[in-house]
Amino acid sequence: MEKQNIPEPVPFKFGNKLKIYLGIAAGIGLIALLIAVFFQQLPSERIWANLWMNALMFVFLGLGALFFWTVNTLGESTWQINIQRIMESMGLTIPFAIIFFIAAFPGLKDLFEWTHTEHLDDLLQKKTGYLNLPFWMLRFAFYFALWSFFAIYLRKMSVKNDFEPQEKYLARLRATSGWFIVFFAITSSTAAWDWLMSIDAHWFSTLYGWYIFSGMFVSALAVIIIIAAAFKHFGILPNVNSEHLHDLGKYLFGFSIFWAYLWLSQFLLIWYSNIPEETIYFVERTKNFGTLFYVNVIVNFLFPFLALMTRGAKRQPLYLAIVAIIVLFGHYLDLYLAIMPGAVGHENTSIGLLEIGLPLFYLAAFMALFFTFFEKAKPVPANHPYFIESSSYENI
Amino acid sequence: MHVSPVREPLINGEKSYSDITNDVMAPIKAKPGKLWFAGLTISSILMLVGFAMIGYTIWFGIGTWGVNRTIGWGWSITNFVWWVGIGHAGTFISAILLLFRQKWRTSINRAAEAMTIFAVMCAGLFPLIHMGRLPLGFFIFPYPNTRELWVNFNSPLLWDVFAISTYLLVSLLFWYMGLIPDLGTIRDRMKTLWKKKVYNFLSFGWQGSARHWQRHESMSLILAGLAAPLVLSVHTIVSFDFATSVIPGWHTTIFPPYFVSGAVFSGFAMVLTLMIVTRRALNLQQYITVGHVESMNKVIIATGSIVGIAYITELFMAWYSGVEYERYAFMNRALGPYAWAYWIMMTCNVISPQLLWIKKLRRNLTFTFILSIFINIGMWFERFVIVVTSLHRDYLPSSWSMYKPTFVEVAIYLGTFGLFFTLFFIFIRVFPVIAIAEVKSVARSSARKFLGKPTQKQKPEKQ
Amino acid sequence: MGAIVYGHFTDELDLLNAVKELKNKKIHIADVRTPFPVHGLDTALKYPRSHLPKIAFAAGLIGGSLGLLFQIWVFTKGWPLNFGGKPYLSIPSFIPVTFELTVLFAAFAMGIAFLLRSNLGPGKIPNILDDDVTNDHFQVILAAKNNNLSEIELAEALEAAGAIDVKQVNATT
Repeated sequence: MEKQNIPEPVPFKFGNKLKIYLGIAAGIGLIALLIAVFFQQLPSERIWANLWMNALMFVFLGLGALFFWTVNTLGESTWQINIQRIMESMGLTIPFAIIFFIAAFPGLKDLFEWTHTEHLDDLLQKKTGYLNLPFWMLRFAFYFALWSFFAIYLRKMSVKNDFEPQEKYLARLRATSGWFIVFFAITSSTAAWDWLMSIDAHWFSTLYGWYIFSGMFVSALAVIIIIAAAFKHFGILPNVNSEHLHDLGKYLFGFSIFWAYLWLSQFLLIWYSNIPEETIYFVERTKNFGTLFYVNVIVNFLFPFLALMTRGAKRQPLYLAIVAIIVLFGHYLDLYLAIMPGAVGHENTSIGLLEIGLPLFYLAAFMALFFTFFEKAKPVPANHPYFIESSSYENI
Repeated sequence: MHVSPVREPLINGEKSYSDITNDVMAPIKAKPGKLWFAGLTISSILMLVGFAMIGYTIWFGIGTWGVNRTIGWGWSITNFVWWVGIGHAGTFISAILLLFRQKWRTSINRAAEAMTIFAVMCAGLFPLIHMGRLPLGFFIFPYPNTRELWVNFNSPLLWDVFAISTYLLVSLLFWYMGLIPDLGTIRDRMKTLWKKKVYNFLSFGWQGSARHWQRHESMSLILAGLAAPLVLSVHTIVSFDFATSVIPGWHTTIFPPYFVSGAVFSGFAMVLTLMIVTRRALNLQQYITVGHVESMNKVIIATGSIVGIAYITELFMAWYSGVEYERYAFMNRALGPYAWAYWIMMTCNVISPQLLWIKKLRRNLTFTFILSIFINIGMWFERFVIVVTSLHRDYLPSSWSMYKPTFVEVAIYLGTFGLFFTLFFIFIRVFPVIAIAEVKSVARSSARKFLGKPTQKQKPEKQ
Repeated sequence: MGAIVYGHFTDELDLLNAVKELKNKKIHIADVRTPFPVHGLDTALKYPRSHLPKIAFAAGLIGGSLGLLFQIWVFTKGWPLNFGGKPYLSIPSFIPVTFELTVLFAAFAMGIAFLLRSNLGPGKIPNILDDDVTNDHFQVILAAKNNNLSEIELAEALEAAGAIDVKQVNATT
């Protein structure tokens, strides 16, 4: 197949209309936050926990996309080349997540029990070697420095290849992807311990890091699907065809099952062994968050499993995007269940204006950054040696 | 389908479709050589010694083994988990790599799947022997009986029965369904009448109709979709045997994915050990290329590193949990009386595969061969560490004990090697080692030079 | 089946073009036999997509629910067994066996359905017209009774489409 046969995407323009929409969404989010702080007088930990949760979701989307891109690069995979710029631009949002994390820093004392160094119990005292603020901050800085470096450097190499196609850029892209995967494999787990598992400071689970990673990956996939389907619909990426959507759908389907597998592995082993210091985590969630606990499994596993089983379902842009939106919501809920019971406690949690409104602000910020970065480069890396392959393959 | 010219070819040399048929069929047509007979003899003798020792165990009882009341699971369960792990590569290659459209899979999936089946057969033997009364082995299946008693569906050991039997059956089905077209190819090339009849029976009357191919592809895809979670489930459930307990070192939630990764890791190591020799012996270097070995090495480094991260996670969490039993269990692993096993495991599984980051070593066959054996040893010791080291110091210091295998256990283990290789030696003479039809289907796009009839209608590729 | 005409191709791209050409001439193609699955042949022949996946889904559903119901029956009615003080009806510990049975049923239903649907099975005698179709030849078979054309016209059409080694036989099957 010749390159000429592939529909040429129009360079994307981040127009004013879009900016206004995003501005309105961000405004609603901010108003929700202000109402929650000044008028509803919500308990402080609930506000901090919401800021924390949204910051995490924000960075998860970028990280998951960066991971997906680098893994595909390492695997010398082809199909994703047409939608690669979506992942690249999502990855570039990572450095901006720092702002949202720092915005939640004043609430660390509300979120993390182990920060109260003046009265730690015996068990937490044993953990101070790892769970202490200076070291925690150092790790925080280290993660972001590393992730941001990789996101920016990889994107740079990818864009350079647009202008002067050279094997050396692609070789660098592959090698750097390898390094990123190595660091990501470690930091994705440790970050999950630092930012999520240590909320329930007494509790521990070796699988936790991988479990959070699987949720992060599925969330990022869902966003990639939504953007790809929308870009196809609005003619921004006309070269995205049903084969690409089919593959994305398969990933969403497969990794939703993978998420469920890790969820079950963690739950089943703790349930079966019945050791009190471990079961406490699930007792709290089944007892006081019973409905959400089961909704979580239904929305994140059963729903995508049934909805994406058939071939046709994965090739239908609108349908696929709707499924992706619901799954994204599901993983937001998963994060909610990971944070709220430990950080806020069931007496003070409920779902109100804050929980519904605030994510809009983060979403708008994420999309605005995404569009800005997407605008800056060509919509497809047309000089990539696998580009023609990516436009001419078929699913069986 | 366009394939970028920068990709490494999957078939070296100038090949036409009939070349592929003839090359792969050569070992089936030719008279077996002396080396083959020597190999078959040695492995059958080993197998018979193993069977004799199984008989000895049944006659005299498990007392002939080194296991004791503290360490109830010794070599037997170590070997069981090791063999099951090795049995993960084949279905991983044919199912998961099919879903990921990895074309290099076509040259190695057939042999790897066969190996999978033989490995699972070897694995299945161990729990059966360990139950002590082999003739009563059928008790593990739920069947209506006069005691009105059912098996305990809540026991991970029973889950294992279901997982391993399902895995064996589905792998066999998947493997055989893929073989049918190739058996048809062999049938039509056989000159002797009885051989033709045998292959005709085995090939189920395959005639290559387009409709059959269409259904065959559809079936393969669905079977791959079913086999992919099945592969994950098998070692997951094997890990449940340990992880549902309350024994420090066994009960940890990372076990399921970590066991699966370790299984694929050891399985690929075994595939490499076998294929590096087989490709040479059967003259298949042009189909199983250095590129294939490199791809497998990449899987090794990925899964090996996941295993390494899991080791470190376990170690860290043992400390982080603050539970003194957990902390002691891991201290004892690294510094206790079985520390040598732990460090063999660490060196072979975590450190040595990291050498594969160097491209030169990834593509070096001798190095890969040696490394694959190291990994096989390392993965055996991993299971030994998990089984024996965790058990030998339990909650009661008065029952602390040490474990040493007896000659009987060692002989049974070697016997399973005999069984494995006997089956493998027969396999390479009876069935095509490479999936003929599948290799043909990628020949045009991925051969170094494809000798099909050049057609006028095909447009030249743009460089 | 009466008289049939068949011709060969040595290249799958020629085969695909020939099939399209014959289809355009409204000639019914009885069968195409190839040594490996040719990409795009089923669409060229306008075969509908296979229904086998549906069988797998149904069988999986049956296997899984039978397995789950049986376990529930055993532990509530058949022989309730206390393990670790947990409730008799503990769905989490029934999941592994249920999963395995789902896969087992789906896979074997799929395999059996494939064999039945394609009329394949142990010892079936194939109707091989030319040994090379399992090696390197691609064969197009036209049946006289499905077409309005005579055998000679069919043979001409095949040759016009580029087939070599065109033959006519009176097949019995």
